[in-house]
Amino acid sequence: MPEITNLIRRLRFDNGEMTQEELANRTGVTRQTIIALEAGKYTPSLSLAFRIARAFNKGVEDVFQYQTPIRNETSPS
Amino acid sequence: MNAEQKRAWVGVATMTACVLGYFVLLPLLGPVAATAAFGFYGINGFAGFIGRRERVDERDKSIARRATLAGAMASYMAFIIGCMGTWFFVYASHRQEQVWVHTLAMITQLGAIVFFFTRSVAILVLYGRHVEADNA
Repeated sequence: MPEITNLIRRLRFDNGEMTQEELANRTGVTRQTIIALEAGKYTPSLSLAFRIARAFNKGVEDVFQYQTPIRNETSPS
Repeated sequence: MNAEQKRAWVGVATMTACVLGYFVLLPLLGPVAATAAFGFYGINGFAGFIGRRERVDERDKSIARRATLAGAMASYMAFIIGCMGTWFFVYASHRQEQVWVHTLAMITQLGAIVFFFTRSVAILVLYGRHVEADNA
């Protein structure tokens, strides 16, 4: 489970049904990277995260959410 | 499928053809001469012409870097095992300390093939898995 999730797909539809190709061109990446981002298969760099947020006129934390990883703790019996 | 994945598939297909060619030549030429089939792997060099003008972004670079690292690690291991394994085999079976000089060329070729093949497989695997950016 990736630690960072995003709302890119929903924000695309909320912004005039922006296509993946349009978002990719605006942020300087390939459409395949946008697909991977939406599927949770890629964690972007900080600069790309900012570029994506700016494409939606949002803050970074409005687009990306950090999930605190759940650690399995074993107690000595 | 982007250019890097296409090049990786060409690498895997070329290696498959080499292995099949080896087993075809094996009964005809014997185990040593049949390794000439792996010379066909040089065709993989032309894969560099695939998608030269495609855009390459940070995800592609991150995956390429990790795949190259995996290829380098596998290549180094193959080279060392080839060298030490050859020396051990020669010494254990023939009790001689010198290794035939042409085996060095074959071991070097082995290392190169292992590098490119491992890199191709790693690229195909990484494009299907979760990857983090290098400076995430």
